[in-house]
Amino acid sequence: MDAVVKRLIKAIKKEDDQDAFAELVDLYKDKVYQIAYRMTGNSYEAQDVAQEAFLRAYANLESYDESRKFSTWLFRITTNLCIDRLRKKKPDYSLDAEIKGTEGLSGYSQLSSEELLPEEQVVAFEMQDWVQTEIAKLPPKYRSAIILRYIEDLSIKEIGDILDLPDNTVKTHIHRGREALRKRLRNI
Amino acid sequence: MACQKKEEKQIDQYLDGELSAAERKELFAHFEKCPACAAHYRELNKTVMFVQSTSHLEAPPRMTDQIMQNLPSRKKKPGWRKWGRRHPIMAAAAIFVLLMSSSMMSIWNDQSAGQIAVAGGENVEVDHEHGKVIVPEGEVVRGDLMVRNGEVEVHGEIQGDLTVINGEPYLASAGHVAGDIEDVDQALEWMWYYTKKFTTEAFTWNTEE
Ligand SMILES: [Zn+2]
Repeated sequence: MDAVVKRLIKAIKKEDDQDAFAELVDLYKDKVYQIAYRMTGNSYEAQDVAQEAFLRAYANLESYDESRKFSTWLFRITTNLCIDRLRKKKPDYSLDAEIKGTEGLSGYSQLSSEELLPEEQVVAFEMQDWVQTEIAKLPPKYRSAIILRYIEDLSIKEIGDILDLPDNTVKTHIHRGREALRKRLRNI
Repeated sequence: MACQKKEEKQIDQYLDGELSAAERKELFAHFEKCPACAAHYRELNKTVMFVQSTSHLEAPPRMTDQIMQNLPSRKKKPGWRKWGRRHPIMAAAAIFVLLMSSSMMSIWNDQSAGQIAVAGGENVEVDHEHGKVIVPEGEVVRGDLMVRNGEVEVHGEIQGDLTVINGEPYLASAGHVAGDIEDVDQALEWMWYYTKKFTTEAFTWNTEE
């Protein structure tokens, strides 16, 4: 993976190889879209953020430090864009308030749950909706930490690099997010 | 809620994978006699499992195409025009560089990126196979020499500056460069590309319209 990514980036930088960039988009689009979707809770906005993240990555590729992981840099652009957008919107998140405009998993969001039986699928969908809704209620700083830790399965260190936070702060954000989710989970 | 701050902290550490075996043993021994802490741990653990079980989403099927259509493009004209509108300063900078470089005698021997490009040296040798530009011994380049995408071996003399973009200058013991030797980095490289693209686009404006 790393060797492939390095080769693609080199081709883009040196020859402006757009096919190489398309390959890079293909490699990371699901993850970038997923972060954007979990952060914004909205498939339309997630697409918009994901697209902008890739365009910015393309335009600023010269500033990417090749000694570091490309995904860290790309996810950083993505989470920054999400947080900027959430800031511009009315803060409809809080630890208690009901969130509006949170879409279920419909439209473009595709689930890989074909292996489940129909009834199990319904339960799975409801659970999915619950998780999505509750994550969307978290303040953005806890939200991003929880998404990167438990949905993207990244290490504390990587999350710290992406969010530009010290490890201990990342941990605190994860603990607080986890605790807020736990309190709500008890009631269902 | 865990019964004490200490336990609460330990549960967090345990979930973060940061407890030693001994501490873990101690914590689970505490759960045996403290239902509150045991429940707190169970609930947190369940929360994590729920979040982790969230299905992985896939990007919309046409996303790559849409992104690629919005890139500043090398081949399609609307691409650079749009780029020029969106980045007027860079476009102006590109034109500036273009004007600067066209004051030299420019011989771009190949328009495709990655190929060696030489500007200013009439009598230099271009070795495409090895990606080298050679100023032969006894040869004198009277002005500046600029080479892109290639090594430059100077055995002769350059009376002006030597600029190597995306390559390596090499000065042989007999070679001589009167001016500065510059090894240009990636930042200019990017602008350079746009200059070149602009040149190509500008010159094919009428024929392709
Ligand atoms: Zn206890």
